[in-house]
Amino acid sequence: MSHQETQLQLGRRSFLSQAGFNFGALAAGAMLGDELAASELKSSLPHFAPKAKRVIFLTQSGGPSQIELFDHKPELPKLAGTELPDSVRQGQRLTGMTKNQKQLILPAITKFNRHGECGRLVGEWLPHIGSISDDLCFVKSMVTDEINHAPAMTKFLTGHQLPGRPSFGAWASYGLGSMNSNLPDYVVLISKMKRPSDQPLYDHYWGSGFLPSKHQGVKLRSAKDPVLYLNDPDGFPRELRREMLDGLAGMNRLHHTETLDPEIETRIAQYEMAFRMQTSIPDLTDLSDESDETFEMYGPDSRRPGSYAANCILARRLAERDVRFIQLFHPDWDHHSRLSSWCVSRCVDTDQPSAALVKDLKQRGLLDDTLIIWGGEFGRGVAGQGKWDSPEAGRDHHPRCFTIWMAGAGIKPGTSYGQTDDFSYNVVENPVHVRDLHATALHVLGIDHERFTHRYQGLDFKLTGVEPSKVVDDILA
Amino acid sequence: MIPWIKTIGLLCVLSGFSVVAQGEEGEHSGHDEAHGSAEALPETIDFNEHIRPIFNSHCVACHGGVKQAGDLSFVYRDKVLPPDGWVVEPGEPDDSIVMERITTDDESVVMPPAEHGPPLPEHEVQLIRRWIEQGAKWGEHWAYEKPQRPSVPDVADVDWCRQAIDRFILAKLEEEGIAPAEDEVPTRWLRRVSLDLIGLPPTPSEVAAFESAIETQQEHAYEEAVDRLLNRPEFGERWASVWLDQIRYADSKGLGLDAPRKAWKYRDWVIDAFNRDMPYDEFTVRQIAGDLLPNPTIEDYIATAAQRLTQSNEEGGTDDEEFRIEAILDRVNTTWQVWQGVTFGCVQCHSHPYDPFEHDEYYKFAAFFNNTADSDLDEDWPVLKVPVDSAHYDQAAKLDSQIRPLQRNIWSQEYELLSDETRWKPLTDLEASTNKATRVDVETVGDHDEFHTVGTVARNTDITLRSPLPDSIDSLTAIRFTGMPLDPEKAISDSEWGFVLSHVDAKLIPADGGEPTSIEFADVISDEPDPFHDPNGSLNEKSNHGFAAYTRIHYPRSAAFLLKEPLDVSEGSQIEFTIKHRVYMLSAFSLVTRRGYLAVSSDPEFHGLLNDESLQVQRKELAELKSRRNKIESTTVPILAERESHLARPSHVFIRGLFLTKDKQVQPDTPQSFPPLSAGDQPPRLALARWLVSDENPLTARVAVNRVWAQLFGIGLVATEEDFGSSGEAPSHPQLLDDLALRFKDTHQWKFKPLIRELVLSRTYRQSSVVRDDLMDVDPANRLFARGPRHRLDAETVRDQALAISGLLSDEMHGPPVHPPIPDGVWTPFAAWDKWNTAKVDDGDRYRRSLYTYTKRSIPFPMFAAFDAPSREFCTPRRLRSNTPVQALMTLNDQTFAECASAFAAHMRTLADEPSEQIRLGFVRATCREPSADELDELVGLHQQLGELETGDPLSMVANVLLNLDEVLMK
Repeated sequence: MSHQETQLQLGRRSFLSQAGFNFGALAAGAMLGDELAASELKSSLPHFAPKAKRVIFLTQSGGPSQIELFDHKPELPKLAGTELPDSVRQGQRLTGMTKNQKQLILPAITKFNRHGECGRLVGEWLPHIGSISDDLCFVKSMVTDEINHAPAMTKFLTGHQLPGRPSFGAWASYGLGSMNSNLPDYVVLISKMKRPSDQPLYDHYWGSGFLPSKHQGVKLRSAKDPVLYLNDPDGFPRELRREMLDGLAGMNRLHHTETLDPEIETRIAQYEMAFRMQTSIPDLTDLSDESDETFEMYGPDSRRPGSYAANCILARRLAERDVRFIQLFHPDWDHHSRLSSWCVSRCVDTDQPSAALVKDLKQRGLLDDTLIIWGGEFGRGVAGQGKWDSPEAGRDHHPRCFTIWMAGAGIKPGTSYGQTDDFSYNVVENPVHVRDLHATALHVLGIDHERFTHRYQGLDFKLTGVEPSKVVDDILA
Repeated sequence: MIPWIKTIGLLCVLSGFSVVAQGEEGEHSGHDEAHGSAEALPETIDFNEHIRPIFNSHCVACHGGVKQAGDLSFVYRDKVLPPDGWVVEPGEPDDSIVMERITTDDESVVMPPAEHGPPLPEHEVQLIRRWIEQGAKWGEHWAYEKPQRPSVPDVADVDWCRQAIDRFILAKLEEEGIAPAEDEVPTRWLRRVSLDLIGLPPTPSEVAAFESAIETQQEHAYEEAVDRLLNRPEFGERWASVWLDQIRYADSKGLGLDAPRKAWKYRDWVIDAFNRDMPYDEFTVRQIAGDLLPNPTIEDYIATAAQRLTQSNEEGGTDDEEFRIEAILDRVNTTWQVWQGVTFGCVQCHSHPYDPFEHDEYYKFAAFFNNTADSDLDEDWPVLKVPVDSAHYDQAAKLDSQIRPLQRNIWSQEYELLSDETRWKPLTDLEASTNKATRVDVETVGDHDEFHTVGTVARNTDITLRSPLPDSIDSLTAIRFTGMPLDPEKAISDSEWGFVLSHVDAKLIPADGGEPTSIEFADVISDEPDPFHDPNGSLNEKSNHGFAAYTRIHYPRSAAFLLKEPLDVSEGSQIEFTIKHRVYMLSAFSLVTRRGYLAVSSDPEFHGLLNDESLQVQRKELAELKSRRNKIESTTVPILAERESHLARPSHVFIRGLFLTKDKQVQPDTPQSFPPLSAGDQPPRLALARWLVSDENPLTARVAVNRVWAQLFGIGLVATEEDFGSSGEAPSHPQLLDDLALRFKDTHQWKFKPLIRELVLSRTYRQSSVVRDDLMDVDPANRLFARGPRHRLDAETVRDQALAISGLLSDEMHGPPVHPPIPDGVWTPFAAWDKWNTAKVDDGDRYRRSLYTYTKRSIPFPMFAAFDAPSREFCTPRRLRSNTPVQALMTLNDQTFAECASAFAAHMRTLADEPSEQIRLGFVRATCREPSADELDELVGLHQQLGELETGDPLSMVANVLLNLDEVLMK
């Protein structure tokens, strides 16, 4: 153990006894045992002044079609139904679903409208997002390497295609710690769909990998227990809980006088935090104090608990409570068929609430220190899947280009970055790999991704992995 | 921060470079302020202690394993020292280029270059100078040298020591001027050793018995207690948990649907192995190559499931070969991690940045595993039918040992004919057509005509082949079909999707064009002795399976279709042979033959195969044996099996670790920096298994004893249990580690029980765990072991202990995984048929030990996940121990814990009438000691306060408090 670590441990001890188990003590108390090894690194964080202190990641799972929504290609209608030139496809892998079919061009089945002072073109299915274009930065040149959902989403969220690495949110929690004494650092909200979703959302998408489990995303559920084990079990009434915890703390303090182990103080603090969560989380998830105007702003679905719209309101409430990393998941963007109706449904689910969240944060002054990211694990191909000119047509997965948008702290508003070719197939200008997105988002949080590492099994791992990655300076404000 | 750190990151050095560098830098600036550069140089320079760390922190980023700028690497001796190395002249610092480059003022040549970092501190320059002066002796990293039996150190207080290990611990404490701690209270020691050995606390009667035994037998009582615990069946359950983390055991497949996988017989085998104290060398050999042992037993095969616990993928549109290779690489990484404590994984993409492992060596090692029959199939094949009742293992093994040679014998006779080219007449003038959009062309290759598909193939394609029979044939006894990859040469290393002949139809068309005769087949013989599907399925209308290259094809594959009766053929006759394909993988990949040709035979031997008396007897015997084997009630477990040598896959180096970019071919071998493999005529994988446990292997025993030590003492002698390499931590007591390793191997004959026995009977382990204020400065992590271990219990133990204290724990062992209560909404598998049927309250399975809980990788059991149990996707060498509010919520509110509290309260009521007495006895049961007066007051007061609120059961709440005491959750 190094000198610094010892110092830290001692500092922590005296601090604890003085502070009487408040939350500051808890945060420091978390740095025990195994985590001591990392304390040296963490004490240097942030590496420079952060622009954002929290992130809201609006994850659109399944691969939203950039062709219908963001990446306007006016020349495509002329090529409708013709075969995608090999010069464009360049041997791109296809999934099993379309590799045996001809790649016939399906132009966007929607119109694009011009919005705002920046004059951004956004597909007509996203009128609300279009209307706030002046606040957004569209990155049209996103690139990934994976072609199937699970590996692509795993890479999008953890930097590696196989499960086992910490998620972005877990890294943020690990590196920057908590700002709230009553809530976890990393909260995950999953849309409750009106019909059963056809896509699995794996726990490892918000897992802590080899980081301590306290950094994993805590899933807020729309069940009666918004957090697992939040409710007192039958036969253990809440009225008794305070007494009981006081009794427990009393016993543990007595034991501390015997064993002198500082870990006991941490445990007492964690039980107190658990107790506070039993109040703070119901308080968080109870939307009855929200005004009618708010519900109107987020749209009709916002009154349905568990909906994406309701989760957007929760995201704002979490931001207000200074939760570090807030991640929404909205599934079913995987439109292999019936793009014209199903993609519209997903847009209806998410368009107004996403835009409302940006506006709401802005009017409350929270957009200044919140980074918002909207996007999915990959895009969709220009070729129609199924019979290209029927209403049944859809699009297959496409990793070589897709669009995301960002807003808020540190991001240049009213801009668009990167260009794809005339087919929205290949990036022709300023590619942004998923790794670059991670590097950039970390930068906004005040972290140099090259120096933000965790040693595991003898290796220093980082979110951005070992391939070169870069901060996209051009989109930073 | 200094800019070169960024550069290093870009150079893709995976290692701990940047962190180490920060630490080093901080330390040195400290030195400069405090001591200037006047720090004394050590008398004798030790390469590993003084020089290697300098190279590692300043040089190897560019001159290491990954990048060897100027062909110079400070990882390898021969790149630095003469005759091949050119930067160091032993004994001659002034003639050594390295000295010149680290001391020069010339910015264009100084090392490290300014943009990579500041110059070396003067002290380090002097260390290198003295090292060269003293002859530049290179030392391999300690862990790669064989352990040496140390002399037992002298200590002042000889009486303190009880076991050999105590001398090593005490010697270091005396050196530091630290006195060891007092002995632990005996009953607390009993609790500690019970939790460590069987994962459960002692019962009050065991505690009482121990207390009275101490009165009468003193020291002997401790030994008896340990021996009793070592013989308990729960010992195996507790220690199996540790191993299952290493070997990434789970009851599901991992990727895609993460569907269930039947592997629990392996888990039970591990439990039994620990209970029987199977020596670690045997334990190792069986898990790496049990299938290759002479006359393998059922358990030898079950053990090989260790390698089959890799994740497999069933997601639509994924490539079986890609995930087969992922599994092979995981076997390589896991083997190194588990048995050698070395991070071999980074060698997949490039040579190791610090340790002497070259890129090619990774793939040589992978070649040991690359030729097993498994290939990421949804069916998990190959699997072994394992009798549910282990009492039937011997009977099943006996049958298997008769079935296998018999089957092989029959097949060899068949294969000899099938593969004898002189018996076959190839067909030419082939016409090929299909019933679907699939296009086929024909070309002449050597002496025969081959068909091959062109472009994409349609699902369910039938291919009809028509060809005149050679004039030299006047009768027909067999038709041979050979199915090939589309690109036969490339497929040997880059396999293609294979084929399945779902059905075969053949006709003889007379020369005059008259009515064709249907050809009746009696049997199909194939080029594989034990194919996944019976080739005869190709003759069965009802089955879609049959002769196949399932699911990948590397080489041409042949089967002979034997005619029921020889058929006379007249000159000019033609045959029409139709192969029907009905199998496809997840709609995407049709298993259609892409290329192939036919041959025919008039050799009566083929007909003879059907009627040969001896063969008929053998077939009958085989059928009988198989039927007897099938009558034994069985489950399955995935196992290792080697592919036939004529179908062996070649192994290649993958450029940058990508399986699509293959480099040169390699043969199985171990790294050069390790003792050589003595293969002899053993199969390579068996040789590897024996190499791991050979006397020459420097790591296996050390890593194993260190793991046991860490389990008992909370931290390993090598704290980085997962990394014994040069970027890991040096051992706190190197001689003790070597002494234990050698005695584990020699004295204890690789047995864990005597090793554990001596550790827990040591004075070191006996010490009180009270945290010592006087050591907070010098040894906060207890690396010197100047007190007993104190840390939070593992996830499994937290739950098992609560069940045990409350009296709910089921003592049933073994069997399929169980489903205890899980919170609503957690179990949301993608496949609706994948059910979690919670065991009812009256079902003992609700309260089984935690290691029997169904382990689904993608949906970890919440309680285990919160208490830092890994989700078992990959090997987890060491668990973290976090302390979180979610853990508190869990032990307060989880259904199982609530049931434990209620049951515990009910039990307390049976112990006494007065609540205060009930509570006292409950406390004793939970903690194994009497409460102090203050503690009892606190609890009784709480009980009274709760009672006054007149809601709920106050004693259950007190029970809940007892189960949540820090003292109970900690060892």
